Amino acid sequence: MRLRSSSAAYLRHAGDLADNPGQQAAYDSQGHCVVLAGPGSGKTKTLILKLARMLAEDVRVPQGVACITYSQECARELKRRLEPLGLGEAQNLFVGTVHGFCLRHILMPYAHLADIGLPRRLAVATNRQADVAFKVVAERLFGLNQPHKRDDMGRYRRVHLDREAPDWEADPDLARISEGYEATLRRQGLIDYDDMVVCAHRLVSAHDWVLPAIAARWPILAVDEYQDLGVPLHRIVTRLAFEGGVRLFAVGDADQSVYGFAGSDGDLLLELAERHDIQRVRLELNYRCAGRIIEASEYALGETRGYRPYDEERLAVIRFVERPGGLADQAAYVIDTLIPEALAAKDERKLGDIAILYRNAAVGNAFADALMAAGIDFVRVDTGAPYRKVELTSWIEDCAGWCSGGWRRGRPQLDGLLTRWVRFRTSLSSEREANKAKNLVTAFLMRNRRDDGPAAPFVAAIRRDLVDPLAREEPSLHDQMEQVHRMGAAVTAGGKLEGLDLVGLGGRDGSPSHINLLTLHSSKGCEYDVVMMVGMDQGVIPWNNESGAELRESRRLFYVGLTRARDAVHLIYSGWIDGRYGPRTFGRSSFVEELETRLLAAGQE
Amino acid sequence: MRICRIGIRNFANFRNFEVTTGRNIVVVGENKVGKSNLLFALQLIFDPSLSERDRRLGLEHFWDGLGDDKLGETIEISVDLTDFDADPRLVAHLGGYLIDPGPPMISRLTYRYQPMASLEGQPGSLADYEYLLFGGMYPDTPVGSTLRRMLPLDLLPALRDAEKDLANWRRSPLRPLIEDLAGILSVADRDAILEAVDGAQAALSERPEVVAVARTIGRRLEGMVGPAHATSVALGLAPSRLDALLRALRLLIDRGERGIAEASLGTTNLVFLALKSLELDRLIQDGERDYTFLAVEEPEAHLHPHVQRLVYRHFLETAEVDDEDVDEDEDPPERAGDATAGRHVTILTTHSPHIASIAPLRSIVLLRRQADGSTEGVSTAEIPLNDAEVDDLQRYIDVTRGELFFSRGVILVEGDAERFLVPAFADALDIHLDELGISVCSVSGTNFAPYVKLLGPSGLRIPFVVLTDRDELPDGTALGPGRVRGLLGILRPGRDYEAMDEAEVFRRGALRGIFVNSSTLEPALFATGMRRQMVRVLKADLPLRRANRELLDGWEARPSTLEPTGLIKLIERIGKGRFAQRIAPAATADRCPAYIREALERIRDEVA
Repeated sequence: MRLRSSSAAYLRHAGDLADNPGQQAAYDSQGHCVVLAGPGSGKTKTLILKLARMLAEDVRVPQGVACITYSQECARELKRRLEPLGLGEAQNLFVGTVHGFCLRHILMPYAHLADIGLPRRLAVATNRQADVAFKVVAERLFGLNQPHKRDDMGRYRRVHLDREAPDWEADPDLARISEGYEATLRRQGLIDYDDMVVCAHRLVSAHDWVLPAIAARWPILAVDEYQDLGVPLHRIVTRLAFEGGVRLFAVGDADQSVYGFAGSDGDLLLELAERHDIQRVRLELNYRCAGRIIEASEYALGETRGYRPYDEERLAVIRFVERPGGLADQAAYVIDTLIPEALAAKDERKLGDIAILYRNAAVGNAFADALMAAGIDFVRVDTGAPYRKVELTSWIEDCAGWCSGGWRRGRPQLDGLLTRWVRFRTSLSSEREANKAKNLVTAFLMRNRRDDGPAAPFVAAIRRDLVDPLAREEPSLHDQMEQVHRMGAAVTAGGKLEGLDLVGLGGRDGSPSHINLLTLHSSKGCEYDVVMMVGMDQGVIPWNNESGAELRESRRLFYVGLTRARDAVHLIYSGWIDGRYGPRTFGRSSFVEELETRLLAAGQE
Repeated sequence: MRICRIGIRNFANFRNFEVTTGRNIVVVGENKVGKSNLLFALQLIFDPSLSERDRRLGLEHFWDGLGDDKLGETIEISVDLTDFDADPRLVAHLGGYLIDPGPPMISRLTYRYQPMASLEGQPGSLADYEYLLFGGMYPDTPVGSTLRRMLPLDLLPALRDAEKDLANWRRSPLRPLIEDLAGILSVADRDAILEAVDGAQAALSERPEVVAVARTIGRRLEGMVGPAHATSVALGLAPSRLDALLRALRLLIDRGERGIAEASLGTTNLVFLALKSLELDRLIQDGERDYTFLAVEEPEAHLHPHVQRLVYRHFLETAEVDDEDVDEDEDPPERAGDATAGRHVTILTTHSPHIASIAPLRSIVLLRRQADGSTEGVSTAEIPLNDAEVDDLQRYIDVTRGELFFSRGVILVEGDAERFLVPAFADALDIHLDELGISVCSVSGTNFAPYVKLLGPSGLRIPFVVLTDRDELPDGTALGPGRVRGLLGILRPGRDYEAMDEAEVFRRGALRGIFVNSSTLEPALFATGMRRQMVRVLKADLPLRRANRELLDGWEARPSTLEPTGLIKLIERIGKGRFAQRIAPAATADRCPAYIREALERIRDEVA
């Protein structure tokens, strides 16, 4: 009898892929495989089933599959989708960010055996510590009014990996700041998030013995959203895959690469896909968008991709709306006309099926204020949101979800909540202590089961009983605690989420009763019936002085927005924007202009 | 893969114990020196059947020498593993716990029993203790149960009850073999078997006599509890379900005449070991395990010496097959039909010279008590021996010489003659070798070097002396000095012994336990009062011509006229060993040649 080590639930769903040759090919792939997945092409489903299959058929504990994703949120979404396949907390499946993988599975086990200048105990600098270190070093080097920003340094470090190469001196100022900054952190025994990847790259590229060790533990490496992951990860991945014998399963879409400002580069994915030793699979069927939206998005992109709609019959609406009265006028039109229309257009459509997308938080603020004034519930995901989603806030939300009825269905699973809780603590020395910690959480959750009620007392209680004591023991959670504070403030009287109930807190993602308010960047990976792209004015999208690569990236951002929609896209603009010294009239976005022209031209043929 | 180092602190007999090990580990040592505790130490790290409670030790597990100061001390057991680079599954298990990236990679696993980290101040009792199992150099890398499950240590204890284990279905190593059977049989086969059994059952149970007995029982039941409560009974052979039938299969011995319960302890143990070996194969084949540390405590229990040797040679040799030799495409080497080849190591504790004699030379770990009562370990794993010397020793250490590893002192001699005479002189000198635990070992020649390395300061550190001949050649030169120079080079390197004259070399040799006579043994004996007996034996045992008799008489009367070569020629006609046996009864203290006496007194003092 062989012990089954991995759930076979995926087999029930595998048949769904059969009518899509691309998905099936990816699912059947045996060696390195790159999946070029257009919008709405079912890439996450394909990835999830392929992960489950590889876990069941290709590896056995202690060997496993590591799946690297772009952000904490993406990782959480993947885990949520893996849970019904019985793989929520599979011990030989890693699902996490690049940083998490580099820290946990490259640096922690091996860095101390190689001399790459890292402290033995890897403590992560809080945002504040990193800020202070940067400021002190930059001002010491270049004076009080020095022009450099921390983001510039971060990007410089991510892009210029080889310190020995002449390339490192491309900007000597940033090079000196980077060196001084790193030395300052090291003196305090700290590393920052960029260090995790940069140092992991250094370790993997300079020490051959690390390769077989990683390859043995993680013989398969899956990467989601490859286009967003940047040069260091690309180098780590190619080294592991083509010199270390790790099998690679990469998924991405270069057209949706919108993090160039942070050092990522969609061309890396294409470069990978061109290799002769990789199987390249294209997913060309779009399950999400109606045909006309696909057509429009390709015009907007300026490239023909040949994506086809899954449902040829579906009709789509693409509307261009000018509201000359500025953002307030745009918001009023959205609230008074578009939202009621959208809700009326289809039975069962709810606010949650509608998204308002914009480029920058300033636009978001205008719409948030207007929605609030109109009494429409919304969920906002951007830097202007009441709190940012971090592991700890997500955990609190999921606990709220469990307490407000989730416990009846086992969603989210209690065990997953407990495991995540234990992982917040770096200092648990024994299983006994871990069990004690778990018991504490279980008792709290059991005590707080109620089907509904306000969120505020729940947040206060979970902070008092669990989260705050944890934060006192784990200084590394400092940054996350800031978001917990903001969450607490938001749900109490006078906060932005005042009156939110427990169900609402637990279902903050995809709540059917809240309209979605988010930046184009945050909208990646999401889909909605109706998308309202607001503030589509020249000077914001694109920014005024953009050209070359930056302009192309803005165009891709525009493309990402369009492809979020199933049925309808509304492009709303005023023709002028608020400048620092008053209104400035540049006309509507050139992307919008171009799109309408092309659609009209196509219509006349 | 293999264990390459074991370190133990503050545990049982071990205060600060460290030993390097070879591929297999054969632990030898006197009773109560800590052999079983060493296995328990390994269990704490590797044994998946040990419970949480077992891993929480008691005060009795702390090193005895701590006396009343046990609370507050920390017990630590660490094991280094190496030579796993070639197997990705083993690297996956152990690669996270590296202490040396190699090559070869070395990983460390540690069990630590300590006052709780969160505790402030001194622990009040063991309730304030916690245990950690961690990998690598730092305690923040815990080792999970997967590793213990897939790289487990299987312990067969000394006082195992093989018969009971075989009878207990859940624990029986027979069980998986029989469970596999159920899967192999086709539906038609199953039906045929059931039909045949039913037929046989009916033939017996439907006999009127049998039915009558069942009815008697039934009536009594009814009489006791009434018809409502009485269950109906029948007499039958076996439940007629196939899996139950298969479970009812029993091991029979002696052509099926007797059950295993009637077998001798030895046979039962043997069968048990064979099943255990098959079980290991199966667990590896099924992928439930990636490796097994098979620990057998005192395998000599209940087994005839010959069988001991054969059985444990099997376990030790299948483990000695190197990982790279296990290649399915090649012709299987002898005995390597076993799937376990290269996938297990055997760890034995023994005080049987039989087992020690078949142990691969590099596998010996010797435990012995030190002055402070704690146990130290020395091993053969890293003694600087070349391949030829290893082979030489391996051939040499046969059953009788296996006792070398159990000796407190060793007298190395050239041949059988010394082997018989030295104990005789020792007795005469009131030095009782057996009581002192001193062995006399013949190296069958003059190649002492491998033995000196084995026993010497970089080896097992067993006190020893060497008795050797000066061996003067006809041209007046002698072989002895060169031999002693060579041994001194091993024992105390770094001096220019070539530049020293013979007297200086012998003087230094004696300081290091190397004692040399003036020519060879027999002439040296002839110089003592032994010569009377020697002449008597030669005359009695050999048909001597008159000239030779007169020659002997002449030498006896005037020993200074002795021609050594002539004497030795005569002795060789009897055989040196036999001759030595014959003259041994005449050994007395004052007849003992000086170099033998010095050697005996030295070794006596060293083991004291």
